[in-house]
Amino acid sequence: MSRLSLNARLALLFASIVTFCLAVVGTILFNALSRQIYAQDDLNIVLSARHLRRLAAEMDDLAAVREHQARLVSLVLGDAALALKIDSSDGTSLIDYDPPHLPLMNLAATPQNQRIVTEHLQRWISAEDVPMRGIATLATLRDGSAVKISVARSMQDRALMLEQYRSLIWMTEGSAVLIAIVLSLLLIRRALRPLQNIADSARGITPERLDARIDVQRAPTELHALAVSLNAMLLRLQQGFDRLWQSTTDLAHDLRTPIGNMRGASEVALTRVRSAPEYQALLVSNIEECDRVTRMIESVLFLARAESPHFALKRTTFDASEELHRIGEYFEGLAAEGGVDISIRGEARINAERELFRRAISNLLANALRFTPAGATIVITVTASSAGTSIAVQNAGTGIAPADVGKIFERFYRADASRTDSGMASGLGLAIVKTIMDLHGGRASVQSEVGGLTTFELYFPAPG
Amino acid sequence: MRLLVVEDEAKTREYLRKGLEESGFTVDIANNGLDGLHLALEENYDLVVLDVMLPALEGWDVIKRLRDKKNIPVLFLTARDQIEDRVRGLELGGDDYLIKPFAFVELLARIRTLLRRGPAREVEQISVGDLEIDVIRRRVRRAGVRVDLTPREFSLLQLLANRQGEVLSRTQIASYVWDMNFDSDTNVVEVAIRRLRAKIDDDHAVKLIHTIRGMGYVLEVGERG
Repeated sequence: MSRLSLNARLALLFASIVTFCLAVVGTILFNALSRQIYAQDDLNIVLSARHLRRLAAEMDDLAAVREHQARLVSLVLGDAALALKIDSSDGTSLIDYDPPHLPLMNLAATPQNQRIVTEHLQRWISAEDVPMRGIATLATLRDGSAVKISVARSMQDRALMLEQYRSLIWMTEGSAVLIAIVLSLLLIRRALRPLQNIADSARGITPERLDARIDVQRAPTELHALAVSLNAMLLRLQQGFDRLWQSTTDLAHDLRTPIGNMRGASEVALTRVRSAPEYQALLVSNIEECDRVTRMIESVLFLARAESPHFALKRTTFDASEELHRIGEYFEGLAAEGGVDISIRGEARINAERELFRRAISNLLANALRFTPAGATIVITVTASSAGTSIAVQNAGTGIAPADVGKIFERFYRADASRTDSGMASGLGLAIVKTIMDLHGGRASVQSEVGGLTTFELYFPAPG
Repeated sequence: MRLLVVEDEAKTREYLRKGLEESGFTVDIANNGLDGLHLALEENYDLVVLDVMLPALEGWDVIKRLRDKKNIPVLFLTARDQIEDRVRGLELGGDDYLIKPFAFVELLARIRTLLRRGPAREVEQISVGDLEIDVIRRRVRRAGVRVDLTPREFSLLQLLANRQGEVLSRTQIASYVWDMNFDSDTNVVEVAIRRLRAKIDDDHAVKLIHTIRGMGYVLEVGERG
């Protein structure tokens, strides 16, 4: 059933409903008709029998019965299927009127003093397989002799007629069902055309043509929500593809610099014979470039892995300030060389994956150290609330231009590519921070005024 | 010490052989899994360096079959660093796991650690030339004069002294001293070494902390070529 098309399924369903309804209606009508017909015939038989008994009662003797045959028979003349038989009590046939040639059975007779009603009717099937109905009654003539009056009717004509009715009903019903199937197929196909339109639109969407959308205006109300959510999904996919494409392109571009450096420096070195220290310097420079490439690969793989649906966070609850002091210790030498102080304020426990927390804070600090002028202080503040814990890293410096604030967490985005240490920074540090925050269900944000304070804030929501 | 290097990439194989031989090991090489397994079973090696992606027989299968017969240390090399791969490698009986690209000094350090076998003995007193380190009291003297170090500077010096003569990469140092197991795009280690050197070496003619350019740092008496 599940492999049938929606179209066929609906048509079949519709046809079953039509069949069922017609069958019920047909049965009811047929039964009503046959009841009506039989009731009429039964009444005729009963009335004839009553009449005959009353007439017989007025006869003088058995001879009179024979004499008045025409009068008696006239009572059943109206219906060619009726037969009449009057017998004397010794079994002698007085009248045997039998145009339908019925072998009248020996029917049980209703006593003469009892009123004849339809309940006395007897039904049987003759030896010739003809359905019969009949009634018999006893009557007493004036001279006291008894006769038995039998009236019977062959129901063959009725059976034949009902049989024809039945066939007619079957044929009508069959055609109606066929028409219903055909019509419903056509109508359903028509009704489902909007779905086909959506399918056609979807068929046109490929990685190269992700900007195509389903026409929501043309969709009927029932399919509106579907079209809208499909379009929303397409938009998300498009953004995902764009980001992927952008990252791949950026990565390839960023790889060009170190590889170009290695190739160029090596080629220049090979153009003439150099001294050993010159060769050594070249090799060291090449190793540095390799390290750069390795760092980029590691970062890109980290991001890819973090975005994979199989990534599982290993959360623990730990003392955030203690961890911050450890990270501060790691950077203290570097900070001291740049004449920068790192100050850590506040206390809080935090629920996060420790390694990722460390990585996010380190990236922020490394970033802050890169832009903080000598003599300034980087202030790290931990604030806890019942909803979660936030960590702010604030430093004075050149600040971030408003145009860059929105893009700063994007991959390979460098606000100032011309900086001397841009070789050290992969342009992925803040993107990693954002990804780590996304993994924790938190967020990373930045506020900055040009020439003033820049604050990065990480918010870790409390678990549960 | 005899090592077997099973690696299909010619350049990698060649530099591993050369580097390990120059570090004092006897090195045999195999360029596919089948040959590697055969050699490892026939000969007596102290350690096998095994690439995971190999023609003829994968690294995983090599170690499975090898482990049925022999229990020599195996160090995996691989370009794949999914956690599952790491777990699989260790479950199958690998002793350590190194992801390509790796620093050669790190490979050397891992090999030496595996060959040492068993936990390194904690020494109470380390001396290198006229440098004396009291591990228990966490005190340092150079030529009899006390040198004041911050806790992290002490950890750094202790690490270098414990592995004296061995080149340690920046990554290794960051990991051992600060437990930072990722690259933070900064020259923190370089700065830390510079500051440690200012306290240990600057006032003395004989320098103990040496920079091996492009590779890392080493603590030893005497110059390196």
